[in-house]
Amino acid sequence: MTASNRDSFLNTIASKLGRERIYDVQRPDMQDLMPGNSSSLTTGELVDILKEQCFFIHTQFIESTPEILQRTLNDLIDTNGGGAVITSGDTRFAEYGLKFAAGLVWEEAAGREQNIMRSESANTAIIFADYALAESGTIVVESRPDQGRSLHFLPAHYIAVIEKKRLVLRSTQAAADLNRRIEAGEPLGSSINFISGPSNSADIEMQLVVGVHGPLRATYVLI
Amino acid sequence: MSLQTDKRDFNTRTSDGLDDLFMRSAVGSAQDSLKTRRLSAATALGDWEQWRTLGQQIRQHTLKHLDYYLEQLAINVEDKGGHVYFAKTKEEASSYIRDIIVQKKAKKIVKSKSMVTEEIEMNRVLMEAGCELIETDLGEYILQMDDWDPPSHIVAPALHKDRTQISRVFTEKLGYTGDDTPENLARFARTVLRQKFLEADVGITGCNFAIANLGAINLVTNEGNGDLTAAIPKTHIAVMGMERIVPTLEEMEVLDNLLCRSAVGQKLTSYITVMGPSAAGETDGPEEFHLVVVDNGRSDILGSEFGEALQCIRCGACLNVCPVYRHIGGHAYGSIYPGPIGAVITPLLGGYDDYKELPFASSLCGACTDVCPVKIPLHEQLILHRQKIVKEHRTGAAERLQMKTAGRLLSSQALFGKALRFANPASRLISRHGRIVRGPGLIRGWINTRDLSQPVRQRDSFRVWLEQRKGGSDQ
Repeated sequence: MTASNRDSFLNTIASKLGRERIYDVQRPDMQDLMPGNSSSLTTGELVDILKEQCFFIHTQFIESTPEILQRTLNDLIDTNGGGAVITSGDTRFAEYGLKFAAGLVWEEAAGREQNIMRSESANTAIIFADYALAESGTIVVESRPDQGRSLHFLPAHYIAVIEKKRLVLRSTQAAADLNRRIEAGEPLGSSINFISGPSNSADIEMQLVVGVHGPLRATYVLI
Repeated sequence: MSLQTDKRDFNTRTSDGLDDLFMRSAVGSAQDSLKTRRLSAATALGDWEQWRTLGQQIRQHTLKHLDYYLEQLAINVEDKGGHVYFAKTKEEASSYIRDIIVQKKAKKIVKSKSMVTEEIEMNRVLMEAGCELIETDLGEYILQMDDWDPPSHIVAPALHKDRTQISRVFTEKLGYTGDDTPENLARFARTVLRQKFLEADVGITGCNFAIANLGAINLVTNEGNGDLTAAIPKTHIAVMGMERIVPTLEEMEVLDNLLCRSAVGQKLTSYITVMGPSAAGETDGPEEFHLVVVDNGRSDILGSEFGEALQCIRCGACLNVCPVYRHIGGHAYGSIYPGPIGAVITPLLGGYDDYKELPFASSLCGACTDVCPVKIPLHEQLILHRQKIVKEHRTGAAERLQMKTAGRLLSSQALFGKALRFANPASRLISRHGRIVRGPGLIRGWINTRDLSQPVRQRDSFRVWLEQRKGGSDQ
């Protein structure tokens, strides 16, 4: 694509809009325009909202603590029918002292094919959420060298560990924070995933099927 | 598939729809359930009307400065090592995609649902180039396996099929041996398609919104196929209509909320992903990323009185409330874009020659306008189309003659009086039991679906009766 091709495309747009090309635009401030954008909920209230929403998005919700997190996760892996587990290389796994039998890790050194194969062979994926959005029951994760994209989609079971301090009310807060980071020039991962429960479809007779191409089941563990 | 899904004439298509009782009942119950779910998700957000206004403001601001935001997008995508191609026409767009694929000697392509790739006839072009192309959205996959049956709804493409038909397609085409429960059919498709994802050379997706200041695209899905399409193959090609762009993640967040709630009544769908070319050190995602920005007639719409139609975020809410769509179904529109928004944009993209009937396929009740999350005045745009179609003399000689005659009768008191006097005797031969049962042109169109009373005799008419009563009270 040459610059002149692009220019002719964009010039056409400008001329259809009845003006010359423009090179500076002030975008309206979203935070000012957002309706009812004042919330001061306690963490406890956010937890209640998240818990209720999980019911609607077919997601299991479990409250745990750092001390018993390993046991909680082991129990969940067993309930999922055992098998291989894949985790991201997130440092929080070490911080919380988590280790899994038959545990695989997504790591840069393993390369593309290996990482994808590991995820495909794993029965359960476990990751830590960067943000959790109470209202929609969403966790937000970013791709990194130690946390690939397919990690969230190939395994049959998906477990997201949510630290309470990561809880915010809505997507509004997460988007504003991410955009602040972008505008500050902070490099983000090439994929930012807002995940709300397991994959699903209503393409056949509008009847909901939980578990289509992505995970069949999802569990959030709050610590 | 192209914009046009059926070359037969409009009346044949609508009769087919009206005769398809399964489809009508499926569409009816889908509409009822989606309407209810939309309403409850909209209510849950609170201040829905203010959110709609905000959605409208965001879309209008972006469209007003579209050249600026597209340029910003292109610079940011290229900064990350991606490629951006601006395609004036559908031919340019699909040739560019074909050339990438031929150059890479890629054979296996997985695709997630995208309306604009239908519009540019990409599937046909790629299959003619010898590629195996698989639609991975469950509904679209079902349609592909059924010899590319056209979609009938923007978000639920296989709405017109029941589980028995789907099970039969899977059995005949894929050797499926299970029962016809949706869960087992979906699990079967999961297994077949999982292998396709793992083998694919190239993944092709649409784009709900491109994010200008980030140089990335946003996909809104539920099944997880869009993400697998963009995660596993080494090349990702994303195709977008040039108007599908937002300045930042903040505007995306507002529009995604409006989209998910309006389309399927979810607060957010299961997967909302912002994605671009793979970053340094990441081991999956595309090593090569192409973004194809398609005009294909959109810049003409931008400068016209139909500019607001470009605000559309493809939620399909207008289909779900439309009484005409409810009865004739998606296929009757003969376009990949059905329903009220389809009746507005199809003639703009495809011209009046093929689509002049669509703006008339509306009761003008305005339910579409009320429900639109970005406040497109849909029914007003339909009226605008009608005015243009009539002005351009595209309504047919017989209809024009009848309208002209009616116009003359109705604008002259003397002629109108005479017409009233003769209406009853003139209609005797075509009436039975006080109802008109036969007739030409407009009359036939009316009585096909509605009753038309025979005009009363002059002496029984309201005017005569009123005159006599007046006379009586004066005395």
